[in-house]
Amino acid sequence: MSILKTSFTRRRSLALGATAVAVALAAAGCGGDGGSAPALPGNPGLGGDGVVAQSVYDAAPVATDADIPAGSTMDAIRKRGYLTVGGSLDAPLLSQQNPVTGTIEGFDADMAKLLAKYITGKPEVKTTTIGTQTREAMLQAKSVDVVFQTYTITPQRATQIAFAGPYLTSGLAVAVRKDDTTIKSVKDLAGKTVIVGANTPAVTALPSAAPGSKQVAFGTDPQAVQALLQNRGEAYVQDFTLLASNAKANPGMKVVGEPFTTESYGIGLNRDDAQFKEFINNWLKKIQADGTWAKVWEGTLGSVVEGGAPTPPALGSADGS
Amino acid sequence: MDALTAHLSELGHGLVTTVELTVVTTVGAMLLGIIVATLRIAPVPLLRAIGTAYVEVLQNLPLLALLVLFVFALPTIGISFPLFTSAAIVIAAYEGAYLAEAIRAGINTVGVGQAEAARAIGLTFGQSLRHVILPQGLRAVIQPIGNICIALLMNTSLAAAVGVVELTQAANNVNLLEAQPIAVFTGAGLAYMLLALIIGQVTGLLERRLAIVR
Repeated sequence: MSILKTSFTRRRSLALGATAVAVALAAAGCGGDGGSAPALPGNPGLGGDGVVAQSVYDAAPVATDADIPAGSTMDAIRKRGYLTVGGSLDAPLLSQQNPVTGTIEGFDADMAKLLAKYITGKPEVKTTTIGTQTREAMLQAKSVDVVFQTYTITPQRATQIAFAGPYLTSGLAVAVRKDDTTIKSVKDLAGKTVIVGANTPAVTALPSAAPGSKQVAFGTDPQAVQALLQNRGEAYVQDFTLLASNAKANPGMKVVGEPFTTESYGIGLNRDDAQFKEFINNWLKKIQADGTWAKVWEGTLGSVVEGGAPTPPALGSADGS
Repeated sequence: MDALTAHLSELGHGLVTTVELTVVTTVGAMLLGIIVATLRIAPVPLLRAIGTAYVEVLQNLPLLALLVLFVFALPTIGISFPLFTSAAIVIAAYEGAYLAEAIRAGINTVGVGQAEAARAIGLTFGQSLRHVILPQGLRAVIQPIGNICIALLMNTSLAAAVGVVELTQAANNVNLLEAQPIAVFTGAGLAYMLLALIIGQVTGLLERRLAIVR
């Protein structure tokens, strides 16, 4: 896999670009226009390999000078030449550093690079790894321009910072061990010991979704999966995309039921800069309309979730955005 | 400030767990430290080698790595402890290595003449250790032992990474809800500081009461 991926990434500009053009042509030929599954030959159902094609970047929009008034945050970023992003390096399919190439891959990472391209003309970002505890403080101190980190929009957080978007919706789902037949949905978790990721929305969502459940929190996703397989809890509650990817890699676990919450992820911004927020919302509108959003989704999350790219969430639809 | 006052019970539970973990591991680490220090000064070469190996292995591995190994690797060979117990065992074993070195330093301050005199009046190795060497050696290193206990208190926060809801994890959970990192972690930090101050005060008191003025 890694060998394949290395050669793939090295020749990304050529081979992948050509493939993606072919795919785009094929999709156009089929009359599919966003929302349909990519017609990758030899890879039915699931498209992509977790890497977004160079052609997506090449075709991505760049802001006109009229969009960027002098003295604005965008102007400062354009003069600097790169975007500073707060994110993760360890979130598979969302924002994970490829140990071979050193580039950060995934939906969040690619969205950040596309935003950088929109502002500066080239996908240059400087990613700062930040913990979920410090995101608000980092934005308030303007240590980063934006935060792309599956940042769930909540009214409490919206009193500290501003959210552009939502740019992605997801939900929490339940995973159990393969041989478990007693747990069919989140309701069956009442009174059970449930593994959660520390500092994830599951910590706050579980008490109401499964009253009386006991939580055991682990720092990272691989630890939580290991804990589930080692019987430290009856189930693991996490974002369903992440669980789907875990279940694909670990035959010992399975995802049961449908997602039981709706998490709206927003782009974290400094609260005092309404102009920047409006600018980013306009960018989101553009990339959703021209199909870039769907291509990024298919290249990353689409590699584990079946059924093609969903409809992007409506801007401002979450309480706090 | 509301973020803190609205969640006093969660933070309080975390604080209690931190105190429990600190007390349990301090007791365990002290016992281990005395045993390992004794091994390192034992007349039998094999015992000395065991003591040295213990100290070198545990001092030279990061505590977080030890915790993760103990919690996730042992179950693969069929040994599984509850999470709190796991964290307590690992932290006690780790801090035990540091305490052993502090105690050994204390033992080295006791004059050779004391040990010779103890043997001359017919005490066995164990008796001379218990009645002559350790009582003097421990009194010489009360302050270093207190410092290691404070380090131990801070290290209990690593138990959060393996699912123990102590003060740090409780603060994380409250922050997740309230999104007030500065208020929440300042509060947790003050609680740690208070606990460390208490340990420092107790150490100072013990030192004034027990230290031998030479």
